Amino acid sequence: MRYERQILIKQVSEAGQKILANSNVCVIGSGGLASPVLTYLACAGVGTLSLIDYDTVTDSNLNRQFLYQEKDIGKPKVQIANEVLSAFNPEIIFHPIYQKIDKTNITEMIKDADVVIDCVDNVETRMIVNRACLQQNIPLVEGGVNGFYGFVFAIKQEYPCLECIGYGNTKLKPPTAALGAVVGVIGSLQAVECIKILLGLEGVLYGKLLNYDGLIGSFETVEIQKNDMCEAHLFVN
Amino acid sequence: MIEVRLFATFREGRDKISYLEPQGYHTAAEIIHYFRIADDEVAICLINGRHSKLDSSVKDGDVIALFPPVGGG
Ligand SMILES: [Zn+2]
Repeated sequence: MRYERQILIKQVSEAGQKILANSNVCVIGSGGLASPVLTYLACAGVGTLSLIDYDTVTDSNLNRQFLYQEKDIGKPKVQIANEVLSAFNPEIIFHPIYQKIDKTNITEMIKDADVVIDCVDNVETRMIVNRACLQQNIPLVEGGVNGFYGFVFAIKQEYPCLECIGYGNTKLKPPTAALGAVVGVIGSLQAVECIKILLGLEGVLYGKLLNYDGLIGSFETVEIQKNDMCEAHLFVN
Repeated sequence: MIEVRLFATFREGRDKISYLEPQGYHTAAEIIHYFRIADDEVAICLINGRHSKLDSSVKDGDVIALFPPVGGG
């Protein structure tokens, strides 16, 4: 039986497996983080997965974006992801959305999601996703990398968001350095947080910025606080 | 003491945690300059977990966390 091993986990069990089957997760961006995120959520039997991306596969993606192969170069990522994940687990419903996200269309695209996972590679889109999720009160799992380093944390209305911690000032110089195995660690952690949220478990990384340092092999958490002046939060209230 | 925690590439060639005598430092900017980090290299500066500008004052017992840009996918 496909889910036998995870039903053995007492926090999952048969009841949790049903919850996962009835869950709807929206993944934004189909790069290095999304490869493990989508793979593990599909494996775990999350019933409905949407993927929003407006990119095609290039050879420079292949060091980390393992959903794609050399034969896929030039094709839309959402189309290949659809083929790969549907073959992986035909029981799940997959919605590939080949569209560029902006302030005007995001509301509609994420409205049915129980959780949104941010897998984009730029600050501007992260800020749009952050505000949209706060406004619609949808839990958001953030993750990002740079070389051997990465971070993960979770956001919802009662807890600090990207704008609370001043993330909007981040000036990334693309292309960002990325090692496949490190992106895999961070994407896997995002999938874990998502599953915890769907199952209603304690210990979700709300208000806790988890930092991974691959060079020394350590995880460190920084407790973060809501900012009374946060415009994203003011916008909601 | 002021505890300073550096993250990601800020750690390369520096200690990941340092303790500084509070007398020598009045602002977050003075602390990052001690570490030879330029203002525009800092993406996030947290004092006791709160977003803070570099001209924010610091005092004994504060924990400062400094992050360079991290956000690739
Ligand atoms: Zn906020």
